[in-house]
Amino acid sequence: MSWLLGTALLALSLRAAAGDVYVVCNMGVNLQAGDIRDVFVGEKSFAGTARLAPADNSAAQAAFLEKVMKLDARKYATLWTKKSFRDGANPPPVRATDAEAIAYVRQTPGGCSYVLRAPASGVVVVAKY
Amino acid sequence: MRRFSINRLTSRLGAALLLGLLIGTVPARALCAERAATLEELQQKLDQSLKAIQELTERVRELEARQSGAAAGAAPAAGESSAPSAPEPTRLEAVEQQLEQLETANASRANDETGMPLHGFADVGVGTHNPINPDLEGFFVGNLDFYLTPRLSDRGRALFEMNTEVGAEGAVGVDLERAQIGYQLADQATLWLGRFHSPYGYVNTALHHGAWVNNSLRRPGFLQFEDSGGIVPAHTVGLWITGAPRVGSGKVQYDAYVGNSQQIIDGVLDMRNAGNAHGNLIVGGRLGYLFNAGAVEGLTLGVHAFNARIGDNAVPANMTRVFSYGGYAVYDTEQWENIAEVYLFDDEDLSGTSGTHHSHAGFVQLGYHASWGVPYARYELTSLDQADNYFAAQTSGFSYHRSALGLRFDLSADAAVKLELADTQLTDRSRIQYTQGLMQYAIRF
Repeated sequence: MSWLLGTALLALSLRAAAGDVYVVCNMGVNLQAGDIRDVFVGEKSFAGTARLAPADNSAAQAAFLEKVMKLDARKYATLWTKKSFRDGANPPPVRATDAEAIAYVRQTPGGCSYVLRAPASGVVVVAKY
Repeated sequence: MRRFSINRLTSRLGAALLLGLLIGTVPARALCAERAATLEELQQKLDQSLKAIQELTERVRELEARQSGAAAGAAPAAGESSAPSAPEPTRLEAVEQQLEQLETANASRANDETGMPLHGFADVGVGTHNPINPDLEGFFVGNLDFYLTPRLSDRGRALFEMNTEVGAEGAVGVDLERAQIGYQLADQATLWLGRFHSPYGYVNTALHHGAWVNNSLRRPGFLQFEDSGGIVPAHTVGLWITGAPRVGSGKVQYDAYVGNSQQIIDGVLDMRNAGNAHGNLIVGGRLGYLFNAGAVEGLTLGVHAFNARIGDNAVPANMTRVFSYGGYAVYDTEQWENIAEVYLFDDEDLSGTSGTHHSHAGFVQLGYHASWGVPYARYELTSLDQADNYFAAQTSGFSYHRSALGLRFDLSADAAVKLELADTQLTDRSRIQYTQGLMQYAIRF
């Protein structure tokens, strides 16, 4: 019984450690949560008339790929390699930290990214995972 | 904390002295005045002890003063704050603010995406027969392929692919395989102008000259590029509209294109980069549906067709209306990469009286993504009417069938080794049969 309780506590602690992922966009972007995957694989480039400009955040990428994209980093990179030579599209630029990702989204029209900490004002939270 | 340590030291020493005093005074009372000399001695010891306490206390204070002086001097040296007495939270906030400013500045610099991404692929290998020219054997240099995707304006797109390849004579040639500049009308429509991979089937647009992207060691023979034995126009110079709007749980993938009709020059299809002499056009399209949910998730079913007037440089020149149509199926999932394509040809002789000719070609490939690699099996078949000028004029326009077993090992995220064992039987111009054992080392960068 005690090991069951211990396992449950461990699982809960691991889940808590994984943390939440917040997908955020520039204030001028109106995006649905269901479109996020398409945006980050280059299948959706516009939200209304706004050109989308997604950016990856290496500090949160592992969690984002697992929770949102259902991909690992290698498959994500391969997907973009294929997308790039088929469609001439470029993969999202990469930011190093939450603060950089938030700064990018605030400054870039159509900018979207993802962070691990709940963002302050100045961006739109499209979805939380 | 430091203050507490001084108090504790003082109180312990005091207690010890008090105890010593009590111990010392009890015997003194008992022995009365005769022991006055002893009492005096004890009094002296007490005085000495009190003096020692005083000295120790002063020493501790002196050390504490030195320590706090050193800490105060270190703070400005680190450049974090000019006020060492500032409260801890204030200093933390200042550092946090500075960090945020640095990150914001870095993000602003990174927004300046003025560089042009350059990607590439390369492969080398060895075989009992060269994969493209079976008359040759031994080691071979494959392709060195570069593609560029410069970032343009909001809706602009561009893709250039330059490939360095080795011909049958060993000479190195450089081809501008793709040169297409596009405008994205919407998510569901992009218009391209230039030289592009003709959109038919799956392989011709899903793969390109870089060997690394292909799980199999090579494309099916009849779908090779024009100068590598292909018999279908792999490239078109013209206008192409493509898109994939979401319909239901899947996507409709459509393509429509028009371009210069190809010409067969010295036995090889040429896509007429600079235009053709007679203004004839190739017109074609592809329509497919990708299932994104349910039991058939990952399955694409589609049809394709093109119509062109293709001549050659014989004297007198032949002209053929080439009408090709067919279908394709792809099952591309985490585990499987299964591909099948069929091409039917109803070609009409426009320069002679031989009438209409029917031919067909196709292949089936099954691939499985195992944890250790991708084994695959392929069977390909062409049955090409040799009375059809379109095939008769092409060096590679013969019929054949080929069975192949292969294996791909990914050594890393950007390098793969592939092995293939293939048996090929030619079935009309000659009856040659040959078996190939091939190894290829392919990378991307």
